[in-house]
Amino acid sequence: MFSWSTHAGARARRVGAAFLVAAIAALLAACGSGTQDKSDNGSSNGGGGGPKVTLTLKSITDAKVAWEPLIAAYKRVAPNVTIDASYAPTDQLQTALRAQLGTGNAPDLFVDWPGNGSAMSVQQLAPSGLIADISDQGWTKQVPDGVKPLLGANGKTYMWSPGATPIGIIYNKQVFKQVGIAEEPKTWSELLADAQKIKAAGKIPFAVGNQTPWVTQLLPYAIAPSTAFAVDPNLAQDMLDGEKSFTNSDWHTVYDRYIELYKRGLFNKSPNGTTYEQTQQLLGSGKAAMVVQVIAAMPPFLSAAKNKDDIGTFPFPAADSADALKIPAGVDAGIAASAKGKHLAEAKKFIEWLGRPENMASFSKATYSIPLVGADPAKTDPLLKPFAPFMASNKTVPFMDQQWPNAKVQPAHFAGVQDLVAGKTDVGALLKKLDEAYQQK
Amino acid sequence: METTHARTELIGKAAARPARRRRARQVGSPVLWFAAPAMAIYALIVLYPSLAGAYYAFTDWSGIGSAKWIGLENFKTLFRDEQSFGSLVNTLKLTAFIVVVQNAIGLALALAVHTRIKSRNVLRVLFFAPAVLSPVVIAFLWKYMLNPEPDAGLNAMLGFLGLGFLQQNWLGDPSVALWAIGLTVVWQFAGFSMVIFLAALQGIPRELEEAAAIDGAGRFQRLHRIVLPLIAPAMTINLTLSTIGGLKLFDQVFAITNGGPGYSTETLSTLIYKQAFVFGAYGYSTAVALVLTLLVAGLALLQVRYLQGREVTY
Repeated sequence: MFSWSTHAGARARRVGAAFLVAAIAALLAACGSGTQDKSDNGSSNGGGGGPKVTLTLKSITDAKVAWEPLIAAYKRVAPNVTIDASYAPTDQLQTALRAQLGTGNAPDLFVDWPGNGSAMSVQQLAPSGLIADISDQGWTKQVPDGVKPLLGANGKTYMWSPGATPIGIIYNKQVFKQVGIAEEPKTWSELLADAQKIKAAGKIPFAVGNQTPWVTQLLPYAIAPSTAFAVDPNLAQDMLDGEKSFTNSDWHTVYDRYIELYKRGLFNKSPNGTTYEQTQQLLGSGKAAMVVQVIAAMPPFLSAAKNKDDIGTFPFPAADSADALKIPAGVDAGIAASAKGKHLAEAKKFIEWLGRPENMASFSKATYSIPLVGADPAKTDPLLKPFAPFMASNKTVPFMDQQWPNAKVQPAHFAGVQDLVAGKTDVGALLKKLDEAYQQK
Repeated sequence: METTHARTELIGKAAARPARRRRARQVGSPVLWFAAPAMAIYALIVLYPSLAGAYYAFTDWSGIGSAKWIGLENFKTLFRDEQSFGSLVNTLKLTAFIVVVQNAIGLALALAVHTRIKSRNVLRVLFFAPAVLSPVVIAFLWKYMLNPEPDAGLNAMLGFLGLGFLQQNWLGDPSVALWAIGLTVVWQFAGFSMVIFLAALQGIPRELEEAAAIDGAGRFQRLHRIVLPLIAPAMTINLTLSTIGGLKLFDQVFAITNGGPGYSTETLSTLIYKQAFVFGAYGYSTAVALVLTLLVAGLALLQVRYLQGREVTY
């Protein structure tokens, strides 16, 4: 029926083989052409002040609105440099970038997180030699001393960040008005009294979306500066030095106050079953009065409100007296350059340009943060103004995870707070779990 | 004794000779040579990465930099660490729930639409429809349905039907959340099980059931004695697929609860993801993945062997 020894068969095989080879060659050429195009783009196209370069940049979706005008502006400054930017949610980027760094395929510029505490934070990456040292750039000299260590490791700077953003209360002014609260609370007892008033009026005092893991940390972070860090302002370093721990410090007050709010019925019915997105709806619709949030997360809350002017902010009054109040303010996610990137010099130049006060201001305005360099109080967004005096007078504490020694404490914190609310654990057991995670490598 | 031994050896050698010759013929066989390129590509693309990946299970690799050999340390951690062991238990619980409930509902639906009711074709499509959607889409749909508020989603439906006492904090209560996820999986894939059962039901000769009915067998007896034994191959397929699906479950858990509240819905798959991509513990993550692979392969193999033994043909 079919013989391999016939001439026709042999010819057919030869023709088939020739087609196969041609197809594979075409396929390889097609696969290769993308890379080739890209490298051609990067090295030979266009005019400008130097050889054409394409820098790849990967950042978080929330920052797209801030990057786009700056990238367009940089094209005017350096016409020979094209920045090929792409954006993705935080989780996806943390996944992809670490894998790319591991295999030597990282983009020239990529999002990086300050301090320690996550697998993509600067102090986790710097020791590997995969991100470039930018300590010699002029703008780094103007970064406040309290913040500078968070942008690098071992006294060197490895990342750029546009500014710092506080955690505070985003509230619905209409609900406050309906309930009869004329002025925002300034102390813990005033906060409790106002929250009771809101509850008595049939509204939810605090919308808490603990089903979204990162939201679980915000309330403890809001309470800690005026409690645990008021007792020991050097607590973060003392913990790193092994002199203090979660158990052996005033951290218990943080969770005692957290659970007090919950047990008084001041949260929505099921915090663990409610998402971050649902808290936006609860606040915007006026069902809830307040949300404790990072102020940089403002845009969706404004979108969910019937009227943007109904939304206001004020610092979370966790202290017993207004003068003693301190607030959490964290350095924003920024950008680092791949030390093994093909265009490292150009990438560093772009970062140096980003360090100019006007560029810091442009980025910060879009992300509701206060610039690290050259902040102008007159230009501060009204929603950030209640926090500006605290930042100016150094009454801030960095987000706690930025000073934790590994990427394991934060997820243990997320799960611990959910368990605390679910009644599966108590404050003592939670602190013990956090200490266990803290001790891990 | 000695003679017997020598004879056995001779018989053995005689038997081994043709076998060796057969093997030699096979090595020289054109069939093998033609298969060789495909096998080489398979080895390069599938076998080598899998085995190379397994190596990292015995290291402390962090995803960047070099990996240090640490022996069985990762495996010890898996069984010692409360979160990891809990995720193994959750995986097994969820798998058991999915296998039993999904197939029971799938079989019930198949029996229901294997009748002469007019709407049977529409019903078959409706029941099967969720199976063609992305699990992530289903997860987001159910995330809304499982809203804890009494006036939203499933709770609102239960309230409307006068079943308010069944309203739950579906995803916020650690004792309910795992089963709520199981429910979404069953909702999506019961129709898939139904299709497989239905194909088997349609293959049963009508005369067998008719003969049994004439012999006086009731509906339940016919189901028990005729139908179920004859659809045993479909049962094998369904139980095996749902077991593998349950053990590997990731999308729904990740999109609905991300393992929370606490670690109450953490499964081995979400643990693998978090250890690798959130904590940067690639070595440990690979160890968990290896255990999951062995678990899936072992359970599936045992299940298939047992279930195939129960299959009958008339």
